[in-house]
Amino acid sequence: MGKYIFRRVLYMIPILFGVTLVTFLLFNVAGGDPAAQAAGRYATPAQIQAMRVEMGLDKPMVVQYLNMVKQIFTLDWGRSWSSKQQISILIKEGVGPSLSLTIPAFILTLLISIPLALVMAYKRNSIFDKSLLVSCLALISISSVFYVLAGQYFISYKLGWFPIWGWDPTWEGRWDYVALPLLIMVILSIGGDILFFRTVFLEEMYQDYVRTARSKGLPERRVLFKHVLKNALIPIITLVVLEIPFLILGSLLLESYFGIPGLGNLIYRAIQESDFPVIKAMTIMSAVLYIVLQLVTDVLYALVDPKVRFE
Amino acid sequence: MKGKSLWSDARSRLRRDPIGMISFVVICGYLLVALLCATHLGFKGYNVVDNSIAYQEPSVVHWFGTDIFGRDVFDRAAHGTITSLTVGFFGAGLSVLIGTILGAVAGYFGGFADELITWFYTTIDTIPYILLVVAFSFVMGPSLTTLCLAIGLTSWIRHCRVVRAEFLKQRERDYVQAAAALGSGNLRRIFVHILPNTFHLILINFTLGFISAVKSEVILTYLGLGVKPGTPSWGAMISDARLELSRDVWWGLAAATIFMFFLVLAFTLFNDALRDALDPKLKSR
Amino acid sequence: MSENIIQVRNLAVEFRTDEGIVNAVKKISFDVPRGKTVGLVGESGSGKSVTSLAVMRLIPNPPGKITGGEILLNGKDLLKLSESEMRNIRGNQISMIFQEPMTSLNPVFTCGDQIAETLMLHQKLSKTDAMAKVHDLLTQVGIPNPAERIKSYPHELSGGQRQRVMIAMAIACEPDMLIADEPTTALDVTIQKQILDLLADLQKKYQMSILFITHDLGVIADIADEVVVMYRGDIVEKGHTEDIFLKPQHPYTKGLLACRPSLEKNPRRLPVVSDFMTADGKEKVIDVAVMKQQKQTRAIDVKHSELLKIQNIKKHFPLQKGMFGAVKSWVKAVDDVTLTVRKGRTLGLVGESGCGKTTLGRTILRLIEPTAGEIVYNGTDITKLGREDMRAMRRKMQIIFQDPYASLNPRMTIGAALMEPMIIHGLGSSREERLEMAGELTKKVGLDRSMLNRYPHEFSGGQRQRICIARALAVKPEFIICDESVSALDVSIQAQILNLLLDLQDEMNLTYVFISHDLAVVKFISDEVAVMYNGKVVEMNDAVGIYENPQHDYTKKLLGAIPKGMPKHLIQ
Repeated sequence: MGKYIFRRVLYMIPILFGVTLVTFLLFNVAGGDPAAQAAGRYATPAQIQAMRVEMGLDKPMVVQYLNMVKQIFTLDWGRSWSSKQQISILIKEGVGPSLSLTIPAFILTLLISIPLALVMAYKRNSIFDKSLLVSCLALISISSVFYVLAGQYFISYKLGWFPIWGWDPTWEGRWDYVALPLLIMVILSIGGDILFFRTVFLEEMYQDYVRTARSKGLPERRVLFKHVLKNALIPIITLVVLEIPFLILGSLLLESYFGIPGLGNLIYRAIQESDFPVIKAMTIMSAVLYIVLQLVTDVLYALVDPKVRFE
Repeated sequence: MKGKSLWSDARSRLRRDPIGMISFVVICGYLLVALLCATHLGFKGYNVVDNSIAYQEPSVVHWFGTDIFGRDVFDRAAHGTITSLTVGFFGAGLSVLIGTILGAVAGYFGGFADELITWFYTTIDTIPYILLVVAFSFVMGPSLTTLCLAIGLTSWIRHCRVVRAEFLKQRERDYVQAAAALGSGNLRRIFVHILPNTFHLILINFTLGFISAVKSEVILTYLGLGVKPGTPSWGAMISDARLELSRDVWWGLAAATIFMFFLVLAFTLFNDALRDALDPKLKSR
Repeated sequence: MSENIIQVRNLAVEFRTDEGIVNAVKKISFDVPRGKTVGLVGESGSGKSVTSLAVMRLIPNPPGKITGGEILLNGKDLLKLSESEMRNIRGNQISMIFQEPMTSLNPVFTCGDQIAETLMLHQKLSKTDAMAKVHDLLTQVGIPNPAERIKSYPHELSGGQRQRVMIAMAIACEPDMLIADEPTTALDVTIQKQILDLLADLQKKYQMSILFITHDLGVIADIADEVVVMYRGDIVEKGHTEDIFLKPQHPYTKGLLACRPSLEKNPRRLPVVSDFMTADGKEKVIDVAVMKQQKQTRAIDVKHSELLKIQNIKKHFPLQKGMFGAVKSWVKAVDDVTLTVRKGRTLGLVGESGCGKTTLGRTILRLIEPTAGEIVYNGTDITKLGREDMRAMRRKMQIIFQDPYASLNPRMTIGAALMEPMIIHGLGSSREERLEMAGELTKKVGLDRSMLNRYPHEFSGGQRQRICIARALAVKPEFIICDESVSALDVSIQAQILNLLLDLQDEMNLTYVFISHDLAVVKFISDEVAVMYNGKVVEMNDAVGIYENPQHDYTKKLLGAIPKGMPKHLIQ
């Protein structure tokens, strides 16, 4: 197992290199002149040049790149252009609200969709199955923005159950503001998830070992919930765990519409205000997080699927 | 006597699938609407400005009411079809093209080419999609072309993985080995033998990409990275709805959502029907 | 208590397909006596597997359905039982083992868990009691180290061991009958012998009936007391094993028995089913000319000149890579092999799975590049040839693969497949000429010109294999490697293809290397035989000598494991 982990870590290095390279090319090279942006709209050419030197932009590309790498390792993300605050502080403050939304949504979605998909596979082609199938298809054919707007309009505006907008930084107060976006986030995900999981379960049911299990006289329920489930969980876990790193980014859409001060909102405002340092920082941070958490996934995967352990 | 190819087998299976056929008709319907709009033969009210009837409720004359400038909302939604179909077709098309080329090269030749391409798409995959698209849009400025390019250049990874895996598998199959034994070179093996046997995957992934592109257009427009303001698009109509709803004007949102709903649903169902027709062993219904 | 544990009466099963309703089993009746083995034999499409699934009521529905008949277990009709009553019988009174033990076992549960599950379900044992019994069962089925194997996963076991685990699972509740659906077809012949012996022992011990489904008459002769012969959904003949083998009544049975290549004889031509039976199943008077042919023996000739010399060929595959990609250990698939192939004759290459024979075949053609060694074809060392020269050489050296379903591009018409090699090598100056040549090729392999416009999936396995042969002949080769070319075919089709290969060899003076795991088939077609084991050639002799006078221990073991093809007590 130790060798397996070491090999995976080794594999991460060229990817990290690639990510920093792409980010560098994209933002530093293609993204307009940072010095002009930083100096402000009314700066003179001399001031812009001075800014350039101060930001190290007059040095050759390679040096700039290495500087960027150094900054990443020291977690020095710099300052936001629009708010002039330290980005690392902005990130730290944004994590809490984002996770308050995404983690409950993630868990709830799984708790609802996996059992539902399992039951649908068990009762395949029944009325229950078919009506849920149609509902899921309908759910995924509607734009997410619609759910947000409709939710705000009917539930907050017309019915007044939840606030339309805003945030309470206290631990108790925030759930009032999380409730509606949470509901919407779950609705957005369960449609596609249920359809996918159901397909996985159904395909697994055509495997030979299912025929063997039936030939032993096992009741259909045991065949499905014990034999099929554990096998089907492998592709499901693979996919589900890939989503975890992105939880920290929050939801761009929901946070911006509901005014939740999370990382998604941070990115949204950065896009609106062309705030490159923030976008760059978020890009790299999420990429690194993704790589690291993928490693954790692979290890978890090895624990579930006995075949992988012996590579 | 003409033989029955696998394609004609698939076609006849598809024809016997009522849901598949209905979805196909619906898609053709949308194509027709787009054509009528583009040639200005129908839905002409989308551009008729009349501030006196701004924000009128749906009525017999204006099925979905009017917008802020008094333009017919129904006709505007109809014109949005052009935007969505364009984004869907070119976005998905580009993504499938890139994915196929890179996937084929990686899967067939293996070795260094494979390592390089795999490293490349793993890297891009690690960066959140939205941030990539943002970067593109910044560089190129918001427009329909940008949208197509941005979506096409960022969503090819999934298809690339699939094509790569398929080429890896087919490369070892006996019929390809037989071609090698008969003296055929690499190009012939790739284009005459393996590629035709991956078309079904390309088709399926194209429709999936289409759906995802249409939905992405809405989000990207909301972020301000979509089409030029003024061009009718479902994304624009849904984005504008935010302000409209505070004035209880719901018909813009409704029109765009309903138009998009049936197109996406039709494509989704058609995709399922295609899957079943092209490989009946995978019946997941 | 009646003497029959199972009585099948007028059983009918149909399947719904794209082409309409198929009657897989058409009103068949037979008995399984208590404590005896009934062999259910037939080729593909005979309905034998469907019958076995019907007894367990495991027919997938849709698309299949039992449309009539009774299946009496101790007098009780299984088809009338409720699903929960039937579940009590499955794994308990009637058990089943299948053909592919790898996919038939659940990959994420240990072997011990899967066996214990049956015990806990039917005999209501606690987990500890069940595990103790599992330990005992694993010993009974001959698994070494049962205490460790209980905790092993299926993929950690070999094919033979997995089948033993399946057997342990099946006999756990001491069933009255065991249904075995082609349990040894996917196993090597030496492992097959062990499994068959194991089943015979268990039968004696538990007084269990066995319904053994197979296409292999040789296996039937070894183990069955009664035989039921099925053809296209009907039972054409049934009776005691000696009667079936010594005095077959139905023309299909006669044909099936006659068309097997045997280790004792040396005919020039194998009889085929169509010699005995017309297309609609009626008896045919055997053609005088055919009878004369059947009496001819084939002359074995080992003195012809050398066409191909394989010198010290090695093919190694990397097994374990170290930390930075350096290879730590290798699999020696082909380990220093030297062979000579004579012009116009056949060299048989025989061995079990993993011995390297297929790798060797592909290396000879440089479809896989050899790690070391030379391949000298007519004086030229082809390992040193560049791309263009090698392409030209490929006209002379061809190959026919094992799986007729996988060897043809499913999206190319037959005509296109046959003309492709002509296009590559510049044969024929126009499309019409190439079409004409393709038509000639189809005739040569016994097919019709009208097939050129059709696609592979419209043909049967035997027909597709003929097409593959025609394709190989399109470039007018001198040398053909037959890589298990008949192993995936039904026995009756196999005989036809073997006859065709011999006819073509005589007509065109072809040289063959014939690779197979089936010793009888190799003996029929070869002049010389080389036995491979673990990447090496352990013995080589002419086709008669190797069977009458085996020298190496492995060869002797191989010969000893082959089912004799006749009921045991008749062989003395």
